[in-house]
Amino acid sequence: MLELVRRRLMTALPTLAAIVILSFVLMRIAPGGPFDGERAIDPQTRAALMAAYGLDRPLPEQIGLYLLRLAHGDFGPSLVYRDFTVTDLIARGLPISMTLGGCALVLALVLGTGGGVIAASRAGRTIDHALMLIATILTAVPSFVTGPLLALVFALWAGWLPVSGWGDGDPSHMILPVIALALPATGAIAKLTRAGLATALAQDNVRSARARGLRTTTILIRHALRPALIPVASYLGPAAAGLLTGAVVIETIFALPGLGRYFVQGALNRDYPLVLGVVTLYAALIILFNLLADLAYGWLDPRARG
Amino acid sequence: MRVPVIIILTIVTAALIGPLLIEWHYDAIDWNAVRAAPLSPHHLMGTDSVGRDLFARTLVGTRITLGIATAAALVALTIGVAWGAVAGWCGGRIDEAMMRIVDALYALPFMFVVILLMVTFGRSIVLVFVGIGAVEWLTMARVVRGQMLVLKDRPFVIAAEAAGATPFAIIIRHMLPNIAGVALAYLLLTIPQVVMIESFLSFLGLGVQEPMTSLGILLKDGADDMDIAPHALILPGAILVMLLVCLTLAGERLRDRMAA
Repeated sequence: MLELVRRRLMTALPTLAAIVILSFVLMRIAPGGPFDGERAIDPQTRAALMAAYGLDRPLPEQIGLYLLRLAHGDFGPSLVYRDFTVTDLIARGLPISMTLGGCALVLALVLGTGGGVIAASRAGRTIDHALMLIATILTAVPSFVTGPLLALVFALWAGWLPVSGWGDGDPSHMILPVIALALPATGAIAKLTRAGLATALAQDNVRSARARGLRTTTILIRHALRPALIPVASYLGPAAAGLLTGAVVIETIFALPGLGRYFVQGALNRDYPLVLGVVTLYAALIILFNLLADLAYGWLDPRARG
Repeated sequence: MRVPVIIILTIVTAALIGPLLIEWHYDAIDWNAVRAAPLSPHHLMGTDSVGRDLFARTLVGTRITLGIATAAALVALTIGVAWGAVAGWCGGRIDEAMMRIVDALYALPFMFVVILLMVTFGRSIVLVFVGIGAVEWLTMARVVRGQMLVLKDRPFVIAAEAAGATPFAIIIRHMLPNIAGVALAYLLLTIPQVVMIESFLSFLGLGVQEPMTSLGILLKDGADDMDIAPHALILPGAILVMLLVCLTLAGERLRDRMAA
């Protein structure tokens, strides 16, 4: 187990560095810069600004300096939010995004595996077909469609929940965003659980358990569910990536001050350090989730422990 | 299988022919009917906040979204088939290395790379689909490579090799036609993915630009105005949902049929 973690971390760092360098270069060849405003800046001021932020140095040197600072946990200053460092902005946005994504992941896991188990236990019946059709629809419909529709129905028409905003962390503001974010992952997890269970239920140990006269529910939960969850575990990596990207749009729709909004704002304003910081953080999170998925995989399937 | 295909064909036909039959152009402004309600005279679905016919905009938006999706899916198909075919044919270390690259790319936050691309190279429609196609080819490469490995040991391939055909000719003439069915299924499944990414980008203001329109832009406009004009959100939303669901259903059916 430790060996796996060590090996994964060895490849994670170069991957992360490659992403940072790629993003860095992409941002720099973009036309336009952070100091292009409505009014042209006097060339001397501009040169001074560029020098102050180190933007006048050769590109490889800038990248080297950035990586060096990054290794110390310093994301640099924001070019647009002048009074804040990128670390400040991340510290403000990350907890909100993590709450949103974490709640959505838990909701998706509970609803998804639950739906998958119900469908598999009624395999071939109407409820199975209905649940799987719903799962396909959920997977196919992106959260930026469900988000506004949910807000329209439950906030504007029914008036049960707030339309948007953060409300200083009031939980009622999180309900709709979390649901909208969780739905696509819920559908995918339900399908994976259903497929995994179908395979697991055809195994010999399940047949023996049935022959011993165990109840169907017991067989499902004690014998079949664990191997059936293996594909779900390996889906955790892509799920995390999906939730992070989904969060970008959900935060925009529901006006939540999370990391995703800083990313979009930063991209539109060419706030290089902010965009780079967020991309780096997201990449690190996704790599971390892939690692967790592998560990979960090994826990569920002893044969995969190496 | 039949219902989704009929719905897809209906939407595609409407998007292609519809704009020709409507009296309004997608960016023509009717000064006499700003924010008209649905079913008002001359405007079947009403108009938006600057008086443009919503029905015309939705049809044109669907057309743009579908056009970008098809083009991007073809880009993905080309890269994916080429990559998978080379990896599957060569085998050994080359295969190993090429598939490792695909695995590594799978783990990356691609949406962010696409957003960076959009910001970097301006927001042209061409770039939208090239950018999306360039990141959506991974699954296609995996599938094609798997098929190539299966086909490589089939007698007709060995016979072609013995007859002195060049690897290029064998891949193009003998192997790819056998992969076409599976590739088509995955092409169908790629299109909804691409539709989703395009709408996502346009929704954030990073994809198709006004006055041009797409389903993503219409959704964004609709979401901004939903308190006074909910139909402006529901109409494009419903079309997008129907398209995505039906394409996914049809693609999955075709894939399962090809696999069996």
